[in-house]
Amino acid sequence: MNSAVILKQVPDTEALIKVKPDGTGIVKEGVKFVINPYDEFGVEEALKKKEAAGSGEVTIVSIGPDRSVESIRTALAMGADKGVLLKIGEDEYSDALATAKALAEELKGKDYKIIFCGKQAIDDDMAQIGPMVAELMGLPCVTVVTKVDVSGDKAVCSREIEGGKEIVEVALPAVISCQKGLNEPRYASLPGIMKAKKKPLDIKDTKLDAPKATIDKWENPPQRAAGRIIEGDDAAAKAAALVKALRQEAKVI
Amino acid sequence: MANLLVDIRDQQFNLYEMLDLEGLTKYPKFGDYSKDMFDMVLSEAEKMAVNVIFPSNAEGDKEGCSYANGKVTVPKSFEDVYKKFIEGGWITISDDAEVGGQGFPEVINAATKELFGAANFAFIMYPGLAHGAAKLVEIYGTDEQKRTYMDKMYSGQWGGTMCLTEPGAGSDVGALKTSAKPTGDGKYKITGTKIFISAGDHELTENIIHPVLARIEGAPAGTKGISIFLVPKYRVNSDGSVGDFNDVNTGNVEHKMGIKGNATCTLNFGDKDDCIGELLGDEGTGMRVMFNMMNEARLGVGLQGLAHSTAAYLHAVDYAKTRLQGSDLANFRNPEAPRVSIINHPDIRRMLLWMKSQVEGLRALMYFVAYAIDMSHSVEDQVEKDRWHGYVELLTPICKAWGSDMGFRVTEYAIQVYGGYGFTSEYPVEQFMRDCKIASIYEGTNGIQAMDLVARKLGQNKGMNFINFITLMTETVSKNQPDGALKDAVAEFEKAKNAMADIGGFFAQCGASGKFLVPIGNAYQFLELMSTVTLGFFLLWQGAIAEKKLVAIKKEKGVKDDDWVAVAALYKDSKDAAYYQGKVAAAKFYGAYILPHVEAMAASIKKEDMSIMEIAESAFASS
Ligand SMILES: Cc1cc2nc3c(=O)[nH]c(=O)nc-3n(C[C@H](O)[C@H](O)[C@H](O)COP(=O)(O)OP(=O)(O)OC[C@H]3O[C@@H](n4cnc5c(N)ncnc54)[C@H](O)[C@@H]3O)c2cc1C
Repeated sequence: MNSAVILKQVPDTEALIKVKPDGTGIVKEGVKFVINPYDEFGVEEALKKKEAAGSGEVTIVSIGPDRSVESIRTALAMGADKGVLLKIGEDEYSDALATAKALAEELKGKDYKIIFCGKQAIDDDMAQIGPMVAELMGLPCVTVVTKVDVSGDKAVCSREIEGGKEIVEVALPAVISCQKGLNEPRYASLPGIMKAKKKPLDIKDTKLDAPKATIDKWENPPQRAAGRIIEGDDAAAKAAALVKALRQEAKVI
Repeated sequence: MANLLVDIRDQQFNLYEMLDLEGLTKYPKFGDYSKDMFDMVLSEAEKMAVNVIFPSNAEGDKEGCSYANGKVTVPKSFEDVYKKFIEGGWITISDDAEVGGQGFPEVINAATKELFGAANFAFIMYPGLAHGAAKLVEIYGTDEQKRTYMDKMYSGQWGGTMCLTEPGAGSDVGALKTSAKPTGDGKYKITGTKIFISAGDHELTENIIHPVLARIEGAPAGTKGISIFLVPKYRVNSDGSVGDFNDVNTGNVEHKMGIKGNATCTLNFGDKDDCIGELLGDEGTGMRVMFNMMNEARLGVGLQGLAHSTAAYLHAVDYAKTRLQGSDLANFRNPEAPRVSIINHPDIRRMLLWMKSQVEGLRALMYFVAYAIDMSHSVEDQVEKDRWHGYVELLTPICKAWGSDMGFRVTEYAIQVYGGYGFTSEYPVEQFMRDCKIASIYEGTNGIQAMDLVARKLGQNKGMNFINFITLMTETVSKNQPDGALKDAVAEFEKAKNAMADIGGFFAQCGASGKFLVPIGNAYQFLELMSTVTLGFFLLWQGAIAEKKLVAIKKEKGVKDDDWVAVAALYKDSKDAAYYQGKVAAAKFYGAYILPHVEAMAASIKKEDMSIMEIAESAFASS
């Protein structure tokens, strides 16, 4: 079973993010970049499905600057078969639609039975790429998926909804966006890393369409004010002071 | 999870800015490798260490190992961790492809071992000992022994140990009594008791292969009569599968201060006179064969000291930034002044900077020695080969003894930084200290290492290894020309280095004039002296590189040194600038506070004081 995984390289969740003083973006110096964690679920699921089917290829497709190659190689080391990087400049930005168009262009005309992607990228949290790619390719799309069972030309997926789960049957080919809980991504093994070097990785210079939505400015969320400890001689006095503060200062009761 | 185990930026600095790791790929041995592969390996090793192995550390300590009805149980969580570790192929990271290894440089191996050791040393000993034992089979085994044992050990399917110690044979291995009786078919019956055997019994693997030092009946006393045997826990069937029990009986597991997750076992071989072993290598060469494993293990124990100390240091820094206590020194008269984090207090900074300089000095030393192994395997020219190999020989006892002794002291400082909380088992630092202590004892106590340094290593290769190392120090420091902030440190280093060279000559004279007790009685003092100079060298080398880069960053960003607001902002905003400033500070501190001790140490040695021998045994204590 052939499948593709759309993968984005993002700053490590542990990285301390600093906004540039002029608000045009984030400081990238010293920041470690990793595979978007939700995309990692996609890689793992694609590998599992290939292993279960006993044949097929997993292709990784990414848009990003040169450094994204590291993340594609990591996915190849996990076991994916080939990679494509649609290369753009380090600070070249476009919006989700332009990005999805370039991806759909790359993905179309191949026989991918499932195109996996993360439910969202943890850097800009847009959650748009999967559905947009599906729409542009005329494919069905199931989002926020925690389980995928493939049988023949359809797949039964569980997806998270408020207070429960929804079971969806979808005709393949389809786009599936992955949520935590779907699987536990494997680590790249040393033999995997050795093999990854020899796997094909195609780097294509890419020009994205001009964005329809632009980012004006980046800024930090306002600093949280320090907490306050209510003073008082005993519990009753403290409770009275608390009620007073909630009513008169915070005006919430 | 955040990585409080190893400073990855410092790892990168060692590999790419101090050592020329990429340069290794010019040699045929490493021609197939590249920087992106090294980085990927280190990044995966970090994930494995932080996310998979470290969570088992405290748990393994609490659970420990137990023994009942002849069976040893290791911490439950180790099973899954072991499986993942094996699946990753980490055992054979730097072994040759012909034996199923990945062929990475030793220095990459050292960097990953530091990560794994910091994450859980008690755990990592299981695959580590299997590797060391398999290496013996690789070097000395017959093809049949390799197929029977080595392959399965390298793949992690079977475990391994090293069996030297007996109740009457600790430091003096030559006194061992375990015996081997030929059975006539080329094999031997082994009888005897080995104690303190790490990873001696467990069920992480379906079989365990013990390399056992023993004396063939009738062989001479002392080390010359010792041979080494491969003794499996379960015999191996002709098709390679696990067969009958081989009469290797576990008598006990030790209850210990640290590395509690590793089973330290008493093993009784041949209780029913039915324990069969095969000779490995030639008769009477047991010590020589085992020394291969011991050299690897000694560097490994040095890395253990580094591993616990780096984890302790990073935890201490993290704690010191968050624990609020006391007010800023500037406000000491004002009881209402806001509480500050303890990292603001000078005494905490003193401890942290001391720890930083020790940890980073040790890291540079360990990685340098691993790199020297790689270079000795890579260069063609025999003189060059010998030079690199000479560094490894000379510095191995320093890695082992200083890594473990300083590593331990760093873990102890970490507890001090935490205050009372550090003393409790709610926080991880006391475990780091307990786990670290064994490192100065096993693999030849540090006292034995000091004697190895003074009596063997200094004079080895007609003293050329020592001289080459002094030359390397001199050339490297003058090539990197530290100046500015490091000027004084360089001056202190020169004095310390000369004092060290002087004692080298002094010991040679003592030897020539029959005053053997002077070098032997001062062996540890000399190890201390030489280690102090060695770490000073590495810190200065690193500090010089860092200083140049820091100056360049300041220039690029237009930050002037006297504009302290801009300088402070630079260290806050630029990770690289802050990192390099830290390197310079560690070198400067070491030059000011540690290196000046060296001349005093040398003066003490030259006094030829013999108090230690003069004092009567009956005078040590009155009861
Ligand atoms: C947790 C643990 C794990 C171990 N794992 C293994 C293992 O896997 N395999 C194995 O074979 N062994 C192992 N050992 C044994 C270890 O290597 C020995 O404990 C060590 O070699 C010291 O021997 P000993 O304990 O008999 O001490 P002793 O030899 O009795 O030494 C006691 C003290 O005397 C000093 N001393 C002894 N002889 C001399 C001398 N000639 N000159 C100067 N000083 C001297 C020592 O430095 C030490 O300070 C382990 C021990 C422990 C505690």
